[in-house]
Amino acid sequence: MYLKTLHLRQFRNYREQQVEFSAPKTILLGDNAQGKSNLLEAVELLATLRSHRALRDRELVLEGETAAQIAAMLERETGSIDLAITFRSSGRRTVSLNGESLRRQLDFLGMMNAVQFSSLDLDLVRGGPGERRNWVDTLLVQLEPVYAYILQQYNTVLRQRNALLKQQKRSIDGETENTESASFNPILRDEQALPYPLTSSPPHLPTSSQTELAIWDAQLAAIGSRVIRRRARVIQRIAPLAQSWHRTISNSTEILDIRYAPNVHAEQDDPSVVQQAFLEKLEQRAIAEFHQGTTVVGPHRDEIEFTINQTPARQYGSQGQQRTLVLALKLAELKLIESVVGEPPLLLLDDVLAELDLTRQNKLLDTIQDRFQTLITTTHLGSFDAEWLKSSQILTVKAGQIQL
Amino acid sequence: MATRRGGTLTVYTRPLARLIEQLQRLPGVGPKTAQRLALHILKRPEAEVQALAQALIEAKQQVGVCSVCFHLSAEPVCEICRAPNRDRHTICVVADSRDVIALEKTREYHGKYHVLGGLISPMDGIGPDQLNITQLVRRVNKQDIKEVILAISPSVEGETTTLYVGQLLKPFTKVTRIAFGLPMGGDLEYADEVTLARALEGRRELD
Ligand SMILES: Nc1ncnc2c1ncn2[C@@H]1O[C@H](COP(=O)(O)OP(=O)(O)O)[C@@H](O)[C@H]1O
Ligand SMILES: [Mg+2]
Ligand SMILES: [Zn+2]
Repeated sequence: MYLKTLHLRQFRNYREQQVEFSAPKTILLGDNAQGKSNLLEAVELLATLRSHRALRDRELVLEGETAAQIAAMLERETGSIDLAITFRSSGRRTVSLNGESLRRQLDFLGMMNAVQFSSLDLDLVRGGPGERRNWVDTLLVQLEPVYAYILQQYNTVLRQRNALLKQQKRSIDGETENTESASFNPILRDEQALPYPLTSSPPHLPTSSQTELAIWDAQLAAIGSRVIRRRARVIQRIAPLAQSWHRTISNSTEILDIRYAPNVHAEQDDPSVVQQAFLEKLEQRAIAEFHQGTTVVGPHRDEIEFTINQTPARQYGSQGQQRTLVLALKLAELKLIESVVGEPPLLLLDDVLAELDLTRQNKLLDTIQDRFQTLITTTHLGSFDAEWLKSSQILTVKAGQIQL
Repeated sequence: MATRRGGTLTVYTRPLARLIEQLQRLPGVGPKTAQRLALHILKRPEAEVQALAQALIEAKQQVGVCSVCFHLSAEPVCEICRAPNRDRHTICVVADSRDVIALEKTREYHGKYHVLGGLISPMDGIGPDQLNITQLVRRVNKQDIKEVILAISPSVEGETTTLYVGQLLKPFTKVTRIAFGLPMGGDLEYADEVTLARALEGRRELD
């Protein structure tokens, strides 16, 4: 697929900007804080409806304005597609396809695919499990758009269930407030201090509240199982690809293993088996959840483990070796998306090329060639291969404007 | 916020600013629409504006909820509950009065209703006890009800409410739910009449 034009209106620091992409590789050149990453973010949003750096849509809207728009023309093998997203500082988004606004954002996903690679991606190795879950989720949204809906449902159930657990805890703590001060301590270790024994279920909750919790449990398990099974499946598919790239880049000295460590473990990849395991674990952890007033069971606690030569990658070796891992992941993403979608996705390289040594740079560039349309940001052209520069389109970004 | 407020006060004369502010509180009305409505109101004859003001007050004072089904009603018992020709053995359970109106427009449903007054949503502090669920169970228990149709949106909260109510009612009567082919995250009120009518036909028993 090929992104032909991009139009930004009141998006981030762009007031009104039309961009035409005239070569398979486009280099966005400019000092810091000019809008290079903002432009890549727009492309990322078109592909995933997610941004790895904006928490709220409000941030995407040019300061002082109430709405932002991204529009794009994308060429695919089946023909060209017009895509547009409108963000409002009030938070409501609208998406449109070929000029028609879609009622379900889901139908927008999968139109365009992109792999984002920035220096922040080192956090995939060094950061917490949330970084890795987010990586898998973003990939899944592109491969299986309905996953966006499943994940959103899961997060809603999770928030609702947490609110209920907190309420239940408060109502019991409130009841015993005058007898014990133990309720101020969120994690109680001393059983003596408890207003009720740890081994039995919490008393005094109204039946309606208990029945309600059981229903939220069932929903969490039903939707959570769908999350777990899809994550397991995608990790199974990407692991061998990443392993093979990693072996190539490290000249066969390192073996990368990617392993899914779900919080709810099931013996079989069967919907009802996973759901049953989920419910059983919820039951086991019921007391803990009650005391903590939050959900401790479920895919929001999943981990994805990277090991190099059997050692956790986080502890393994240099930053260079960790970079090899991230590069292998990104190349694997490109290939996986390409094989599933049937067309090469875009590649977004945010400040990352200059950070790679020549061997890794070349490995990446060899893979990309002209097949994957690539947008590259950089503050200077110094580290680029001359041959490479010749075949690229260079756009200079300055204060939210593109100068040809 | 302070600048916007100051702006409103300096640009508009005080009573007009107050009107615009009030209108802006209405759902779906932004500053531009509020201004247009306010200027329109000022242009109308005084009698017409009086009628509008009076309609607002009277609606607020006179419309309450039906003591049986909790649908909006100016009488203690609403027209639908009083209608002698409607099927007294079927109750359709909805979240909101808007849903009753949407279903009535289809003219496909001839039973009675029960308005829950919302959906279970712990985040908003709404549990089963905040909804008209006990009243529904009592109604089903006391009267001869052959079927309860749950017509609740398929959102996460709607699903929980459906399961909760279904569980309570199943010992007493047949419980079905409308199989809404509604868009994900869609609202019952947005479903067109054809969709709703088809949904009513395709309802299935709650398992
Ligand atoms: N909503 C917004 N309105 C106006 N300016 C913004 C907005 N969001 C970000 N910016 C500006 O964009 C700039 C950062 O752009 P970015 O693309 O991250 O820079 P870089 O060129 O270094 O990649 C900063 O100057 C920031 O103030
Ligand atoms: Mg940047
Ligand atoms: Zn009534």
